[in-house]
Amino acid sequence: MELIIKQMPVVINALNAGFVQTLKLFSITLLGAFPLGLLIAFGSISKITPISVITRLFIWIIRGTPLMIQLLIVYYFPGLVLHNPIWGGGESGRFTAAAIAFVVNYACYFSEIYRGGILSVPVGQQEAGLVLGMTKRQIFFHVTLLQMIKRIVPPISNEIITLVKDTALARIIALQEIIWAGQAFMKGSHGISGAIWPLFFTAFYYLIFNGIVTLALTKLEDKMNYFR
Amino acid sequence: MKKFVSKLVLFAMVLALVCSCAYAETDSEYVKAKGTLVVGITVFQPMDYKNEAGEWLGFDADLAKAFAESLGVKAEFQEIEWNNKILELNGRNIDCVWNGMTLTSEVLASMACSKAYCNNAQVVIVPANVAEKFQSVESVKGLNFAVEHGSAGMEVAQANGFKTTNVQDQATALMEVASGTADAAIIDSLMAAAMVGKGTGYENLTYTVALNSEEYGVGFRKDSDLADKLNAFFDAKYNDGSIQKLAETYKIQAALIKQ
Repeated sequence: MELIIKQMPVVINALNAGFVQTLKLFSITLLGAFPLGLLIAFGSISKITPISVITRLFIWIIRGTPLMIQLLIVYYFPGLVLHNPIWGGGESGRFTAAAIAFVVNYACYFSEIYRGGILSVPVGQQEAGLVLGMTKRQIFFHVTLLQMIKRIVPPISNEIITLVKDTALARIIALQEIIWAGQAFMKGSHGISGAIWPLFFTAFYYLIFNGIVTLALTKLEDKMNYFR
Repeated sequence: MKKFVSKLVLFAMVLALVCSCAYAETDSEYVKAKGTLVVGITVFQPMDYKNEAGEWLGFDADLAKAFAESLGVKAEFQEIEWNNKILELNGRNIDCVWNGMTLTSEVLASMACSKAYCNNAQVVIVPANVAEKFQSVESVKGLNFAVEHGSAGMEVAQANGFKTTNVQDQATALMEVASGTADAAIIDSLMAAAMVGKGTGYENLTYTVALNSEEYGVGFRKDSDLADKLNAFFDAKYNDGSIQKLAETYKIQAALIKQ
């Protein structure tokens, strides 16, 4: 116990640095996947058959394979097969590769949630819009979109909370997120070696952060109650 | 549809063509052109570790810096996932693996390796309170071992016919013993000296039998000319005594191999 108290400040510092990476990956994934998911959703409900077929094939591949393999492919494929290591060996290249894999993966999951949201708005409302002389674009942005957003908040919350924890997968390409930082103390880091507790201590970071995310999403849902 | 298929075939052929082009320049030309030697490492006291200021030091780290300097480039250290070391090397994300790497048959087959520079042994880790019972190879035969997947420890355990559980790294193998999910672990003796016993998180563990003796080397991409350059560097630094001095700094002089 005494040893732990002595190690605490050093460990907290290192874990904070790892958690910054986790948070960066989390926010960039959300920022990228929200719009990209919408684009993919439009693709999969497109009336033009080749577009919808290709989009659905893409969704099948991304959702049908493990994110861990996708990370390995995005990071190692350019160097190993194309002989052009575009990412480089450094931390920033690893982060970019991880961010791309995460954005694409989550966009595919989001797109299916969006699709469900769009289809859940009764078709009668679109017909009414057409009768009133609105364009398709106006109908989507002024009639469908906000109702869709209200309905997809609960399923999207699920994905967001999963994403917080999924970021840990990026350690497979040696992105030094918080679990990597915690495990480093087992091998020796910052003058501490053979310490096991920091790894388990990382769980508190996830727990507290997910608490904050949950509160924020509940707030958002309350706000959305405006559209019944 | 036919058009689509033919386009697909064309695409595959172009891809195959792109893949088959090999690099034209030699490895040392490549490293000199970009000005950095990227060294793939994991944290491994006393070979590679960070001081409180965040700088890499250790026996391997200091030697790597000196070698890079002799090539006229800067050494850059990149932590890697140990299981992916060959992917990292061949994908040119790193230029060498220099991290107390045991020259196993797998390593020798997939990398261009330098001469051995340091001796090591695989030792058995057991809880300290039962250590007395396990002082010989015979006595540990019936135990359940945790070993790092793909490590020299795993090879040694298999050669002895031990029952093993393969885990991600040596640190995890230690945790298995500490938590009682394995009876014993097999790890590098240099690492064991730094990681178990008083003042560590594994105060209740200790090491007993050495199962083999083995050697550390540095790995480069296959066909790389840097392995020969490093051998020459080792010879020079051994002859002027600077390697011996460095080994004393990190207290591994007993394990050093004469060049």
